[in-house]
Amino acid sequence: MKRLAELKQAGHKAFVAYIMAGDGGIEKLGEQIQYLQERGVTAIEVGIPFSDPVADGPTIEAAGNRALDKGITLEKVLDEMQRFDFEVKVPLVIMTYLNPVIRFGAERFTQEAKKAGASGVIIPDLPFEHRQLIEPFAKQQELVLIQLVTLTTIESRLEEILKQAEGFVYAVTVTGITGSRDELAEEVGAFTRKVRELSPVPVYAGFGISKESHVDRLRDDVDGFIVGSAIVQAFHEGRIEDIEPLIDAVTAPHSV
Amino acid sequence: MTRVKICGLMEEQHVKAASQADAIGFVFAPSKRRVSIERAQELSRLANNDMQRIGVFVNASYEEIENAVKAVPLTMVQLHGDEPDELIRRIEVPVIQAFSIRTPDDVEKLNNSIADYILVDAPGTDYRGGSGHVFDWSLLENVDLDHSRLILAGGLNRDNVQAAISQTAPFMVDVSSGVETDGRKDEVKIQQFILQAKGDSMERTQEKTIDPVGFFGRYGGQFVPETLMKAVKELEAAYEDAKNDAEFQKEYHHYLKEYVGREQPLTFAARMTEAWGGPKIYLKREDLNHTGAHKVNNAIGQALLAQRMGKRKIVAETGAGQHGVATATICALFDLDCVVFMGEEDIKRQQLNVFRMKLLGARVESVTKGSGTLKDAVNEALRYWVTNVEDTHYLIGSALGPHPFPTMVRDFQSVIGKETKRQILEKEGRLPDAIVACVGGGSNAIGMFHPFIEDASVRLIGAEAAGDGVDTERHAATLTKGSEGVLHGAMMKILQDDAGQVQEAHSISAGLDYPGIGPEHAHLADNGRVTYEAITDDEALESVIEMSRLEGIIPALESAHAIAQAKKQAQSMTADELLVICVSGRGDKDMATYAEKLEGLS
Ligand SMILES: Cc1ncc(COP(=O)(O)O)c(C=O)c1O
Repeated sequence: MKRLAELKQAGHKAFVAYIMAGDGGIEKLGEQIQYLQERGVTAIEVGIPFSDPVADGPTIEAAGNRALDKGITLEKVLDEMQRFDFEVKVPLVIMTYLNPVIRFGAERFTQEAKKAGASGVIIPDLPFEHRQLIEPFAKQQELVLIQLVTLTTIESRLEEILKQAEGFVYAVTVTGITGSRDELAEEVGAFTRKVRELSPVPVYAGFGISKESHVDRLRDDVDGFIVGSAIVQAFHEGRIEDIEPLIDAVTAPHSV
Repeated sequence: MTRVKICGLMEEQHVKAASQADAIGFVFAPSKRRVSIERAQELSRLANNDMQRIGVFVNASYEEIENAVKAVPLTMVQLHGDEPDELIRRIEVPVIQAFSIRTPDDVEKLNNSIADYILVDAPGTDYRGGSGHVFDWSLLENVDLDHSRLILAGGLNRDNVQAAISQTAPFMVDVSSGVETDGRKDEVKIQQFILQAKGDSMERTQEKTIDPVGFFGRYGGQFVPETLMKAVKELEAAYEDAKNDAEFQKEYHHYLKEYVGREQPLTFAARMTEAWGGPKIYLKREDLNHTGAHKVNNAIGQALLAQRMGKRKIVAETGAGQHGVATATICALFDLDCVVFMGEEDIKRQQLNVFRMKLLGARVESVTKGSGTLKDAVNEALRYWVTNVEDTHYLIGSALGPHPFPTMVRDFQSVIGKETKRQILEKEGRLPDAIVACVGGGSNAIGMFHPFIEDASVRLIGAEAAGDGVDTERHAATLTKGSEGVLHGAMMKILQDDAGQVQEAHSISAGLDYPGIGPEHAHLADNGRVTYEAITDDEALESVIEMSRLEGIIPALESAHAIAQAKKQAQSMTADELLVICVSGRGDKDMATYAEKLEGLS
């Protein structure tokens, strides 16, 4: 995770890829991670399928259902990660809804995630107010609990959340669920600028990012981009190379 | 929290009934409750490890006391005679010294005791060691007394123990004859006494565990995506404000009366009473509400609140369609924009309600994901809310979801229980012995139960859906089979697999076909105040026929679960007891199911 701060200092933008673990079979997980790190992504979010993903749009929900149909569980994903026989060169962040973690046991989850080589955890339905359920265990394992902030986060909470932010801040760029969008709302630029001013760690924009035009618009207001649905769909349809221009658009050195 | 001691135990079942107490007492002095050391040993084995075992003696020798302490073994000794300080000092375990209180002078003496605890009682009559009478508790007020060593005894029972605790703030309360019937301990009275002594404070301490707001014990909270946090917090503040605003309450009750047609009768069911041959049966008639079920009580409250918050767009989920119809109705009344998400499967089985919603001007969105039932409809409604949160209120239909929904829905539905309480007192001059309501997400049940929670003598029973049976794959028996988990914004009890994936529920009744149960019910199940039983599809259908023919009331399939459970309950009740059933809705919406399932009915 330190690398993310260094990247920011060097003036480079980060590209964080989200994948749905086990979509297409658990054996695909290692392949996808290897592919993405070869292609130069900065970090990878490993999504855990859940039966009721209320923060997700149709693309990720469908990917999750395909993984569930193959019997993928949080435990299987962590096991598989512990068996990787290649060198993982980028930070891995586990993204999961809260219930599978509670069922697995919060402490055991952080221990196994650490063994699996994860550096952080994102739990979209665990608000800042209830982070005590997970954070103490995550701290023991030196995993960061990534916080999300959104266009609707009120000022006082925003400051509170950012004060304690670690790793990076996930700035949600739509008022809505995950999924590709044509346009981003007007106020997004101002929002990410404000978050970036207050945040001690890099700020990455996510939800709805799927095009170079989105990247162009926000480039100066964020430290990186998180791309989910577009990648998940491209892997599913066997045309991941289509995403390469987007990765390049973010990571290629730019005149500032 | 005040501790509870149940004293003078002689029988196994009474020790077990006292399992939630902190201490049990064995009397070794002459008394009708006297036990031998061997008997105390046997009984003591049945108690939890952390239970205090207290031996009661009157002027016994040191040897006798020490012998009992070692043999049982006892963790404390209670002395009721004229034991000298010398003896008290020699006893190794903590000592309780008993005093009879008659006058202020007696109170003065308490501070001279060198014992670890002082037990205060009314003067004995026949023999020493407790009288069964209360003394004037006010004697303990305004005197310099260390209440952390005070144990209160004498004439306590389930009805006066709360008052006694608030007046004297003792370390422990001690009861014996107050939990007896005809000179013998009574399991029900023991449990009710403990509940009364602790119930309230138990809740208060448990609510302190996490962020106390919005939790019922360990259940509840606000487990929603960050985008919704603002809306949830705003709702919390707006409801807090509205709740205490007399104008808001007046408006709410105005619509309940003039539009819904409240108050609804508590109908004496003469033929069911006769047919079941047990208690007197009363029916709380939520079926008579405009739109046909209790759901409208909540829809009105929330729609008024939404307008107060400046929101004129409403999204709702529905299972049986009753909540969808209630919401669509109120939105028509108040000219609000209305979208209802409903599972594909439910749209099929509740056709009539779908048409009603459309007729009322609502947009009905079919949800094809998952099992196409209520859980999936809630997911879609939540996604819709996340996307339209700035101008839309989510009018949730049961006592579910993130705080403040479970509390707010309960409050709006509590009109059911409040009316029932007033009506039964008018008709019978006393509270009912048992109340049964069906539980889907839990709104009609919590609305009915909540005003009776503090009345320990009223048994509360929730009937959940067993579908094909709780031992099959197809049921919705969340409290019988579920476990702790987070779904739809709250920690509650859910049906889930080992990996934490939420399972599909099944019930013939669309309104009960949900794999979760609201947080307050989960808590009431854990602390034992409410018991929950599961009723199968077939049992419910049978009850539909029975009530239709005996009372001329065709119940909703959901309500039929309560009726079936009530029939079972009635079997262990007597003619002088009172049983209330919450008839949450009428059966019109289920007519297609009835026609299909009861085909050939003669
Ligand atoms: C008539 C009726 N009773 C009961 C229920 C179950 O809901 P709850 O448990 O919230 O009362 C429903 C739900 O649709 C219903 O329509």
